[in-house]
Amino acid sequence: MKRYDLLTPEGTKDLLFEESMLHRSIKNTLDNIFRTKGYSEVITPALEFFDVFSLNSNYFPQENMYKLTDSKGRLMVLRPDSTMPIARMTATRLKDATLPLRLYYNQKVYRSEPALKGRSDEISQMGIELIGSSMKMADVEICSTAIDSLEAWGMKYTLEIGHIGIFKELVSNLDADENQKEEIRKLIEKKNFPALNDMLDSFGNSPAIQSLKKLPSLFGGEEVFEKAKKAIPDEKIRFILDDLRSIYNDVSALCGKDGQVAVDLGLVNKTDYYTGIIIKGYLQGHGAKVLSGGRYDKLISEFGYDVPAVGFAVDVNAVSKVIAKNGDINSYRPVSDVIVYSAPGNEIKGIKTANKLRAKGDIVENSLFETLDATREYAREKKIAKIVVVEEDIDE
Amino acid sequence: MNKPLRIALTKGRLEKDTIQLFEKIGFDCTALREKGRKLILPVPDAKAEAVLAKANDVITYVEHGVCDIGIVGKDTIVEMGGKFFELVDLGFGKCRFALAVKKGSDFYSGFGVKTIATKYPNIARNYFESKGMDIEIVKIEGSVELAPLLELADGIVDIVETGTTLKENGLEVAEYIMPISARVIVNTVSLKMRQKEIENLIKLMEENL
Repeated sequence: MKRYDLLTPEGTKDLLFEESMLHRSIKNTLDNIFRTKGYSEVITPALEFFDVFSLNSNYFPQENMYKLTDSKGRLMVLRPDSTMPIARMTATRLKDATLPLRLYYNQKVYRSEPALKGRSDEISQMGIELIGSSMKMADVEICSTAIDSLEAWGMKYTLEIGHIGIFKELVSNLDADENQKEEIRKLIEKKNFPALNDMLDSFGNSPAIQSLKKLPSLFGGEEVFEKAKKAIPDEKIRFILDDLRSIYNDVSALCGKDGQVAVDLGLVNKTDYYTGIIIKGYLQGHGAKVLSGGRYDKLISEFGYDVPAVGFAVDVNAVSKVIAKNGDINSYRPVSDVIVYSAPGNEIKGIKTANKLRAKGDIVENSLFETLDATREYAREKKIAKIVVVEEDIDE
Repeated sequence: MNKPLRIALTKGRLEKDTIQLFEKIGFDCTALREKGRKLILPVPDAKAEAVLAKANDVITYVEHGVCDIGIVGKDTIVEMGGKFFELVDLGFGKCRFALAVKKGSDFYSGFGVKTIATKYPNIARNYFESKGMDIEIVKIEGSVELAPLLELADGIVDIVETGTTLKENGLEVAEYIMPISARVIVNTVSLKMRQKEIENLIKLMEENL
């Protein structure tokens, strides 16, 4: 039998030294952004019952979840997302807590991705959830926090906003079954104009159909709102557009010089617990989104507690990939400042000396070599600038 | 200024058709025509560079964002799937997916589970799944037409252009599955970060089809 004792499973990897330091540094930065805005950390189990992720609305395709069974034979999954467990937790343990709740998490999610595509199955995510407010200010808080989370890396970024309500309203006027609606959603998501037009032509030529055809082309800057007003002559959607525009203006004003805010009214995600605004964040030089989120006012009620919420998650793996690609990952390489060589018999004195240096803020290693020469050789190789020698005749 | 836009072209017929389209727009494609063994070639008039790749790789490069735009057949898109925008049907490279069987035989007769030979297992599976039919799929890399002749399979799912190869081997089309043509695909982030450049290029392409 072939043994796999020397490899990590496909889609996973070990992070060493500077890679791991870079991850930690990204997490510390985000941690600081979230905490100073009053968010508190929560940790949910990596293992959850399958049922948590297979609610009526079936947001997660079962083939993408890692499954196992517990000792009673019940089906479990490795969490493919953190928002659903937090919704479960909010609806149970936090049911009586004072609102709004500001929660953040820093944990991994697991998704079974197609093999050989260069995607990760284990993704480090950090994100926030703002639970208990449907005010515009809550949406703006989430967007501005998203901007802070994109701006922190010193590169060009785009925050994109959309609103799922527009698609939902238009498609509700359509005489189509669920499968057909899903097909239309997919085509809009892929901006597949030719196929979308063909598909919609079979439903007639109502104003809603005309609007749906234009939906994927409505993306860009502020001019999109004017275009959308003309393209979608619908009273309810007019209100949505006005709200979204006002958020767009606020968020643009909050955006730094490296960033820009964009609109895409054709954002219609698959993981569709979203009910309102949708946001996505991009960093220049990375071919996929690094941040995504939105408003999900009906999700927690599926666990029995009707409360609105909005949030987003940052893909720490992706951010670290972009930083490593654009910048100097070697600056994250951990290097000790000092190595302390204790001559035989001076171990206690050596440890004490090292601790004194550490108290000053240096990173200090103990030498594990018999001779000073060997210590020097090692220090040269590891680029340790200073060697301290502890011998008997040295007084403290 | 910005890096040039990177366009992945599917080697072979689509590459030739795309060069023709570029030249009709007025781009100088000398480097593309005299490529030698180079794989990345400049198209200065379009402020772009072209990458020549196999169809599946075009999708992979665009999905990962190392190429911004790709020109690839619908057949590969349906077979591979993936996350990208599929913006334009270029209309060239036209052909169809079809189910073909030995001349005169009825694929749907009898109760046994049928065997299909194909280079496109996903398309074959989805097609018969939509009919609620169990089938056995055998993936073949070369001439799929051989499989029914050697009696490995009851039928094949493959691209049919003129039908000549089928006819010469005593096969015939039982039914057409879907039309195919060349598509312009775009990376999801590139379209947002470089909207103007990409939209201009695509507009030029559409106007000159």
